[in-house]
Amino acid sequence: MGLPGLIRKNKREILVAIILLILGFFLLIVFNSVPEQRVVLDSTAGQIIDSGVEKTGSPNLVTAILYDYRAFDSLGESTVIYAAVSSIALILSFKTLPISSQGLSFISKRTFSLVTPFVFIFGFYIITHGHLSPGGGFQGGVILAAISIIFCIIYGSAYDYENVSPGSKTLLETGGALLFVFLGILGIIVGGNFFSNFGISPAQSGTLFSSGNILLINLGIGVKVGAGLAIIFYTMIQKTYLEE
Amino acid sequence: MENNFILLILIPLVTAFLLPIIELVNTKIRKAFILLSASGELLLGIIIFISNYNLIKTSELYIEYNLGAWSSFLGIALVLDNLSLFFSILLVISMFLIIVYSIGFIGHQEGKYYVLLFLLLAAMQGAVLTNDIFNLYVFIELITITSTALISFNRNRESAEASFKYLLYGVIGGLFFFIGIFLLYYTTGSLNMGLIFSEYQDINQNIQIAVMILFLTSIFIKVGLFPFHYWLPKAHSTSTGPVSALLSGILLKVFICIFLRLFWQVFSYELLVDMGLAELIIYIGLFSSIIGHLLAFREDDIKRMLAFSTLGHIGMIVAVLALNTASGLLGGLMHTISHLLMKSTLFLTVGYLLQYTEGSHHLADFNGIAYKNKGIFVSFILAALGMVGIPPLPGFFSKWYIVDAFIQSGYNWAALLILLLGLISLFYYLRYIIRGYNQVEAERIVKPVKETSVLSVFYRERVVTLAVYVFTTLMLTAGLFFWWYKKPLLIIANLITG
Amino acid sequence: MIYNIVFILLFLLGLYAILTNRNLVKIIIGVNIMESAVFFWVIAVNSREGVLPILEKGSEIIQVANPLPQALILTGVVIGASTTAFLLTLLIEIDKFANNINLDFLKGLRD
Repeated sequence: MGLPGLIRKNKREILVAIILLILGFFLLIVFNSVPEQRVVLDSTAGQIIDSGVEKTGSPNLVTAILYDYRAFDSLGESTVIYAAVSSIALILSFKTLPISSQGLSFISKRTFSLVTPFVFIFGFYIITHGHLSPGGGFQGGVILAAISIIFCIIYGSAYDYENVSPGSKTLLETGGALLFVFLGILGIIVGGNFFSNFGISPAQSGTLFSSGNILLINLGIGVKVGAGLAIIFYTMIQKTYLEE
Repeated sequence: MENNFILLILIPLVTAFLLPIIELVNTKIRKAFILLSASGELLLGIIIFISNYNLIKTSELYIEYNLGAWSSFLGIALVLDNLSLFFSILLVISMFLIIVYSIGFIGHQEGKYYVLLFLLLAAMQGAVLTNDIFNLYVFIELITITSTALISFNRNRESAEASFKYLLYGVIGGLFFFIGIFLLYYTTGSLNMGLIFSEYQDINQNIQIAVMILFLTSIFIKVGLFPFHYWLPKAHSTSTGPVSALLSGILLKVFICIFLRLFWQVFSYELLVDMGLAELIIYIGLFSSIIGHLLAFREDDIKRMLAFSTLGHIGMIVAVLALNTASGLLGGLMHTISHLLMKSTLFLTVGYLLQYTEGSHHLADFNGIAYKNKGIFVSFILAALGMVGIPPLPGFFSKWYIVDAFIQSGYNWAALLILLLGLISLFYYLRYIIRGYNQVEAERIVKPVKETSVLSVFYRERVVTLAVYVFTTLMLTAGLFFWWYKKPLLIIANLITG
Repeated sequence: MIYNIVFILLFLLGLYAILTNRNLVKIIIGVNIMESAVFFWVIAVNSREGVLPILEKGSEIIQVANPLPQALILTGVVIGASTTAFLLTLLIEIDKFANNINLDFLKGLRD
């Protein structure tokens, strides 16, 4: 069919496309007026760069912002993960016993039994060295969740259910969250405000056990995010197996 | 104690984290724990209100709490001023009653329900009390996720579809908010709302308009005004009783608070007026109001009718707030209180009465309901008449001030429109009231109305009726003694408009 | 300047996918495309010559990239991933009841 036929069939799509193109033109004008970004000394970012290392003890400034200057945002963010996990567990809950597949072939199982401990160490390395190199709680936590995903896919979800049961995952997640809030409340008791960094281990900055709160917060968040994502994956895959 | 208003956010948060552990240990103490935590929060709210009472009267209340002991330039700050204290007190009182109602009403999957409910309370308190714009975004997303989960709590088909639609709209609204935050940061260099206000005049005109339109679109999506209202009727009508009251009564008011805070305290409102956007907001609000009331009129399903009525009233509140006069703000804030009380009472009574119709929402199944439980039906009648605007219920006084504000600003046609829509709402409420007393028809229908409610298990029926009666009493008090809170509201209104 | 055009193109592509698609999975993918476009733009605006914000002793402030948007984007990514997971869960739930995830057959989503 010719062009008039095509236009009549896709009338709605073409209308939407035209409106979006006009909108895009206006957006282009607006976004081109955003000024050139330069870090000056008396802006917020400049002050953080200037005095961040002495005040928080962590050379990695992104971690310093996430877990010290704006630790309340990280609390909100980990609560978002907690709420998502609770909601998914609520919606996809099931009453039958878990069923599982047999896993993949023998070669995969053997290979991953050699690889998995190193993944575990790597995840913990990223969590605990969050203040020294790029990384931190969230990033490392995702790697830890990958271990549970490996168990589910390669070994079958029965293996995952026996070794890291959903009850212990829930306990880990809640424990991580409570550790985080507890550190904040300790900040109040020690005499500052909520989430004051009170230098648990005032070693020289640049070594592992420096930067006070940030190490413990990283551990709490890493464990929590890992457990949370593992619960989400396990719940979704159980639902998929149930349908077959 | 008076500076630790962060506990308002922390108490529900820690409760939500502790609940799964308590469930693993012993499920029977769960209800006691929930009640303890809710009462603790209520007590804290009242203590904070009383200890700051003098400051409120002289309108000098401004307590800032710097998290992590960083200055507000570097870190996040929470602020307690007249506006946030007002909404915080409203939240605390109404959520306490809804928690009490839920203890009696919810029978299945209780563990996760209360986790989500307390997370929602913490998120709403955080959104009202914060002074940092990115923190506001995180709390808004938390509100969206937890309220979606609560909508889908009835595990049936309509709830799943309603919550998908709601979450989709919510995520897109949050994305616009996110873009707006970064446009603001890259041009003013700060994330603190007070500091943004002082820098806002100096940035490029195009960016000012774009930021305001982005935030306006985001708030309209979340509040459910035209043309983004398509999620509202389904989401509010397919959720269970207390969740509908929560969404329709309380959640939308939190977004009204965010609207006030953003557009009066971050962007000065005169800019909006200059660019003609204020007129646009008034027209959108009034048009949503028309749609809401007219579509409610044609509805057979009672909960959908109440949801459309919410659309109507919220449109009216947004329109009258956009007038930017002291009497406009007074009318809007007063109607916030009265609509919260009346709509919550309506949804809670309907949630209870639906036990008798076996869950059917249709008008025809409401025959003779009034004789099953007279007290609850009387609360329903009072709340419905209040929504229409009959004295001495609070709806009358707030509508009076709204109409007065419209006439003072010269929008006579808007005042007439509001009175007309009130008349229409009289019709659609009257249908249900008459049906309820329709004893003659009741004996002729095939499907018998249940004799006793499902809830008569020990204490649950009494708890539910207690919550409904407390709400009704609050509503009547708000109506009969409206001059008590008129003066503080006038102080807030004057403070906001400067 | 070029990254503004890329951002707007991707963003409008995502918006177009949401507004005109019938299949729910494609709508969720459209939401993800929009979010990725926004994250890309936020980092790209900041792209000057700069080193990672991990300071050795004695670097000059001019040479360090701005760490604040990077931290905020981390939060944004996590929230985006959580909401996508939740949307997919709701999709599984709808599929269970309706056996179909095409908008044309789901009357409930059109009213």
